[in-house]
Amino acid sequence: MTPSRIVIGLGSPDRGDDAVGPEVARRVAALHLPGVMLVEHEDPTGLIDLWDTVDLAVVVDAVRSGSAAGSLLVVEAGADAGPLADQAWARTGRGGTHAFGLAAAVELARALNRLPRRLVLVGVEATAFEHGTALGAPVVAALDAVVATVVGLVGTATPPTASPQVEGVCRVPG
Amino acid sequence: MSHKLTDGGQVLHVGTLARVEGEGAMHIEIKDGRVKQVQLRIFEPPRFYEAFLRGRAWTEPPDITARICGICPVAYQFSSCLAIEDACGVVVPDAIRTMRRLLYCGEWIESHALHIYLLHAPDFLGYPGAIEMAKDFGPVVERGLRLKKVGNQLMTLVGGRSVHPVNVRLGGFYRMPTVAELHGLRPALERGLEDALETVRLVSTFDFPDMEQPWTYLSLRPEHGYPIESGDVVTSDGTAFDVRDFTAHIKEFHVPHSNALHASLDGGGPYVVGPLARYTLNHDRLSPLAREAAREGGLDVTCRNPFKSIIVRAVELVEIFVEAIRIIDAWQDGVAPSVPVPARAGEGFGATEAPRGVLFHRYRLDADGTILDAQIVPPTSQNQPSIEADLRTLVEQWIELSDHDLSHRCEHAIRNYDPCISCATHFLDLTVERS
Repeated sequence: MTPSRIVIGLGSPDRGDDAVGPEVARRVAALHLPGVMLVEHEDPTGLIDLWDTVDLAVVVDAVRSGSAAGSLLVVEAGADAGPLADQAWARTGRGGTHAFGLAAAVELARALNRLPRRLVLVGVEATAFEHGTALGAPVVAALDAVVATVVGLVGTATPPTASPQVEGVCRVPG
Repeated sequence: MSHKLTDGGQVLHVGTLARVEGEGAMHIEIKDGRVKQVQLRIFEPPRFYEAFLRGRAWTEPPDITARICGICPVAYQFSSCLAIEDACGVVVPDAIRTMRRLLYCGEWIESHALHIYLLHAPDFLGYPGAIEMAKDFGPVVERGLRLKKVGNQLMTLVGGRSVHPVNVRLGGFYRMPTVAELHGLRPALERGLEDALETVRLVSTFDFPDMEQPWTYLSLRPEHGYPIESGDVVTSDGTAFDVRDFTAHIKEFHVPHSNALHASLDGGGPYVVGPLARYTLNHDRLSPLAREAAREGGLDVTCRNPFKSIIVRAVELVEIFVEAIRIIDAWQDGVAPSVPVPARAGEGFGATEAPRGVLFHRYRLDADGTILDAQIVPPTSQNQPSIEADLRTLVEQWIELSDHDLSHRCEHAIRNYDPCISCATHFLDLTVERS
């Protein structure tokens, strides 16, 4: 049975600050939260298949909005929320799969009626995306706060009614 | 946004060109009703991959160059493998070559499905993008996402990751998928084949501008089958040469308005790589099902209308699903995942068919395998002159259009090539300057 809550760490694990999503997913997985699916994912076009059957999806991603490095940006973007403004996530997505970023995935899912009732995007302001580099110090310093934010979100959601416990991080094809 | 020039002309900025990969600009200058200048300005800073490959070990380029692109990493991995294996005097066994071909099928499916459904179809159906199109064509977009998902699944199984595969190494793979694993994908591939056939039926109903391009076509042509992971170079002019002679025929040169090198074939004008060239030069190599799909889709044995590249891509999707299923059905367990590729001094050449055209690599090694020199010629770089030439022709046909409509048509024409500007050196600002 599909868990009713999913945390998706979006990004490439070896492109500098873009690894913040996968890193947070790993840290949340280590907490063994019952009934929460943890996924690392790189391809925004595959997100729709991941979140369209859950009640709550939390997507953690690097973002460039002009704020200070390591700042958190939390946006409600589910079926009950309004359209996602084409701003920070759209800019980050430009370097990805032929310009198809997270913002596009959210709005495409909305157009296809495949958004979860509640979708929360947790952005971490990033600065560097060089291949083969580690997370920058400001993003590392923000990790505890990001994990706490994610845990708060999935922990305050309505508990699953009949879902088995799913733990650990898995990789899924998009 | 537009503003007047001091000479009474006009400059129009339409912002970034959506649905292509990379950052650049298209500058079109019109004076006295005639097109004076068309420039594809790629201003993304060069990433110096060729430079920082120097001094690295001969085993590293497949992993390093894969990072050049998130859409065609397999192309970079396999072109670099072929070139370095050539330098080291190693030819991998057929079974490894076949598994490379299967992984490459995954990349083609991902790339073609993304381009056809999410990037290019909105141009034909009159939508600014896939999101707007999805509101009216939900099942169509769902089909595109379903197709792309099969590509991702194939990439994940054979390559270890749906983006930037990690299972590829010089001489082969770290691990071979098993027959049982491969057969697990067969139902998805069969559904994908049906979706690909439906894709040909859909895109062949689109309205195509009347245009024939005269440029020379260039593609690979292997001994057997449709060109994907290997082959000699052939052109529509009747020229054929070994990949080792690529740099004798293809000369790269710098133009002031682009950070990507342009390329010329034997000193001639623009030449075209990619689906149109592959199809035209290898129609006889398509499977009967793909050939029949092409015929039903209204294609002849050649295709010189760049707008019909979307039909050709759909036919190639059919071909690639047929091929993937064929490979999986014939696969047997027990194949060694790789062969040794010991270092030696020498120069090696390799080329494969990335989804958007021929990708060439050349490496020169010293005796301990240190890379002394590297050269990478990506498809978009080769297509820049033909993109500019197409636009020059088209703008003259469309010169009476408003700046807004002209800009839209030009963006559509650019997307015919599915350019990957980040490979060539990221996004286009389109400027129309009228005087």
